[in-house]
Amino acid sequence: MSRSAIFAKIQSANAALKTRAAYPKYDMVLVHSLPKLEGTDLWEIFARNFSAVNGKPMDSVSQLIDFLKTNQQLHGYCDPALFDAIGSRLAAAGLIVETEYHRDRYDDYQFGITRATGAIAESGSVILDDDRTSHRLAALSPWVHVAVLERAEIHRTIPDAIAAFGDSSNIIWCTGPSKTADVEGILIEGVHGPGEQIALLVKGGC
Amino acid sequence: MIGIQPIDQYARDISDEKQHSVIDGSAAGTDKRYYVLHKDYPDPDALRKLAAAIKDHTLHHLGDYLAKAEKSLTQRGVHVHYAATDEDARQTILTILRQHNVAQLTKSKSMAAEEIHLNPFLIDNGVECLESDLGEFIIQLDGDEPSHIVKPIIHKNRRDIAKTFLREGICSDYNDDPGTITRRARVHLRAKYMEAQAGITGANFVCADTGRLVLATNEGNSRFGMAPVPLHIALVGIEKIIPEEKDLAVFLNLLGRSATGQQLTVYTEFINGPRSANQPDGPEHMHVVFMDNGRTDVLASNCKEILRCIRCGACQNVCPVYRQASGHAYRSTYGGPVGAVLSPILFGSRFPELADLPKASSLCGACNEVCPVDIPIPDLLLRLRDKAKRESIPSAGAIPMSPFATLATSPSLWRTAMTMSKAMNHLPIQVAPIKPLQDWLGQRTLPESHGGDFRKWLKNRKEVRS
Amino acid sequence: MSSLLQRPTGKRVLLMGTCLCDAFYDDVARATVEVLEHLGVSVEFPENQTCCGQPAFNSGDWIASRKVARHTAAVFAGELPVIVPSGSCAAMNFHGNPLQFEENPDVSIDSLARRTWEIMDFIYNGLGIKKWPGKFPETTRIAFHRSCHSRGTGSGEATLKLLESVENALVTPFGQAEQCCGFGGTFSVTFPHISGRMGSLKLDHILETNPDILVSGDMSCLMHLNGLAIAQGRPIKHLHAIQILRNSLP
Repeated sequence: MSRSAIFAKIQSANAALKTRAAYPKYDMVLVHSLPKLEGTDLWEIFARNFSAVNGKPMDSVSQLIDFLKTNQQLHGYCDPALFDAIGSRLAAAGLIVETEYHRDRYDDYQFGITRATGAIAESGSVILDDDRTSHRLAALSPWVHVAVLERAEIHRTIPDAIAAFGDSSNIIWCTGPSKTADVEGILIEGVHGPGEQIALLVKGGC
Repeated sequence: MIGIQPIDQYARDISDEKQHSVIDGSAAGTDKRYYVLHKDYPDPDALRKLAAAIKDHTLHHLGDYLAKAEKSLTQRGVHVHYAATDEDARQTILTILRQHNVAQLTKSKSMAAEEIHLNPFLIDNGVECLESDLGEFIIQLDGDEPSHIVKPIIHKNRRDIAKTFLREGICSDYNDDPGTITRRARVHLRAKYMEAQAGITGANFVCADTGRLVLATNEGNSRFGMAPVPLHIALVGIEKIIPEEKDLAVFLNLLGRSATGQQLTVYTEFINGPRSANQPDGPEHMHVVFMDNGRTDVLASNCKEILRCIRCGACQNVCPVYRQASGHAYRSTYGGPVGAVLSPILFGSRFPELADLPKASSLCGACNEVCPVDIPIPDLLLRLRDKAKRESIPSAGAIPMSPFATLATSPSLWRTAMTMSKAMNHLPIQVAPIKPLQDWLGQRTLPESHGGDFRKWLKNRKEVRS
Repeated sequence: MSSLLQRPTGKRVLLMGTCLCDAFYDDVARATVEVLEHLGVSVEFPENQTCCGQPAFNSGDWIASRKVARHTAAVFAGELPVIVPSGSCAAMNFHGNPLQFEENPDVSIDSLARRTWEIMDFIYNGLGIKKWPGKFPETTRIAFHRSCHSRGTGSGEATLKLLESVENALVTPFGQAEQCCGFGGTFSVTFPHISGRMGSLKLDHILETNPDILVSGDMSCLMHLNGLAIAQGRPIKHLHAIQILRNSLP
């Protein structure tokens, strides 16, 4: 009932228009932020923009281990598909690494390592796609989220990343750690999601 | 009509503390927006005008795009509902919740849900409904109303919030450090996410071509609220449609920068269906409720451009009247310039009661200058003033204009009045029994009249020349 | 804006003096005449002009304001450019009038809209004078308040460039320049508290830079700001931009 009423009202409102606006043709270059795209190496561009939103780009597992140890984040989750390449090395370095995420123990995980399915150089965003990444919660509840990506998966621009959406019913771009400025405009990180967002670059084949 | 304009009264009576919070918060927002847009784009205006053109096109073909979005979503297993009114929307949502035996849910910030007062309704019907955006959570604890589209608690300071947390048992001691406040909310809310059986969200955009809903948040609350629950309900105004996914590049680049000075909000989520089979977290059921609630009336009005609005709050931040009066002065969900246009016409039956809102503007045009979809807000305010006058709605402090029109169309009378006005220099006009004039002169000194002097100079000069 | 680009220019113009100059600021209208004549432009002042109609228009009484607009359009009929020493009255002619006649377009209203120039815009963009040959005897700090009605027009840029080109003039920026002075015509009467606070904030920002002169393209803003400034015991020397151009001539 509501449906037909709404469509009838839309039709009657728009029937009164003298002219209807055409869809504007535009060049996508207009939406590119050229200062943000400066440079040639996509990982370097990404790393610069990701750092600007307080993300931490890393390109080695040992760097990640140092970070987790320094920050006393010693117990976490690792996507089983990434265990051989990353999780096992953390475990060897003395950290506790689980490959199953248990919701009832969500507070136990201080870090979560999951597969990023892409990244956007222009905005410094990591992309998680439901179809190809493990637990949403493992990327959300731990204080540290480590998004693992390969160089070939970095899109240059926002329009490029949109064009590559594919068929997944859930995609999320994470542009830095979870944050708020609700209290007096003061920036606080780690509201509901991670307080540290790391992008870990790995060589292909993981 | 004598009396004081309601918004002027708010500004007069607002506490200094609250006003400073609003002025500082909004001025910071304006500065950040300006800096970021101009740093990133040589000509942000070109982008604003493009966004406006895409929105106009969509609105002018709204029936087609809405049907297309419905089809795209339905094909992907999403249940699509329509709600003509606020009551329809509330009942539709309640019915879905009952079908799924939901007793407890979390809700991320949605202006559409604010508009229909969804929270109190669900709570009255036995569903625990918790706001998860930090600002909205605090608003809910206080039984307050948001006063800004993007920064709902812009009118509060840390001490107010710390007191609320203590009073409501979120913590056992007073601490007003913003970091501590945030941590405490984090702990409290994540337990609630895990207990809940549903998540309710709004949507910033819906792409007609694929049905993808876009949710832009910074805190990650909508993501978290939906990850552990089996049911997602999105309440979406019918004007949120855009034609194609590729247009998102235009709107996302404008939304974050205009709202908070960010290129993108931290979390930008694209959803067009229940979770995939190989994903353990996320809703198995997704419902989208497309809501009219006055939008088609706005579409039929001469203020339809306001439907381009993407709820960034930039017009609120920059508006000098909003800064003085705060969002609550606008007495409806939407405050500031966008609210001054939208509220009186969106809630059509409330027009007489809200007809003062469009008058609360010096028509300075700053709102239009910052608007990411180039809404000509001052023009719309003027059209609504005309509407109020035509509908003979009384207005406090209004000055009758027909004597002015008579004077201004009678040149000889006009010239005489100009010359006579010099006599005012010698009269204490402060004693004139005109309340608005007295108020005006109470704060300002009028310049001395030089009525007719220019005309005299011009005439004498011509005589000298000839 | 395309219609603005086709506005007529030339060495013969009609002056729309504005009601504020008629009542209070005769020297601004004089300066407009003197500067135009200095540039070799002959100025005619139609005797029957009154007001652009803005007070009624902004109040929403469009029956009254359309009446005034028709009168004004008749007084300024013809093909000559109409020059206005006020961004706000000029905007009434080229923006407000077409808006209030949008349902019933009127050729005389459209003609007035197409021919109207704010004075600084006319000098800079209409006559193409990009540098003003004026000079102050010593360094003069100018606070330039861009009046709100010049948003989206060529006036703000034109005024700034012309002021900056005057020798020894130092245009000093101040905070929150995009904010309105709080006048808004009848707004300042119906919203006295908000208007007063807006004006005081504006004054705070302006006075912080310690200017020698406050300059604007709209006497209404200056009347409001100075009216507040005097009542608050902090008067400020204020001039219309066109007075600066005239006063700085050798």
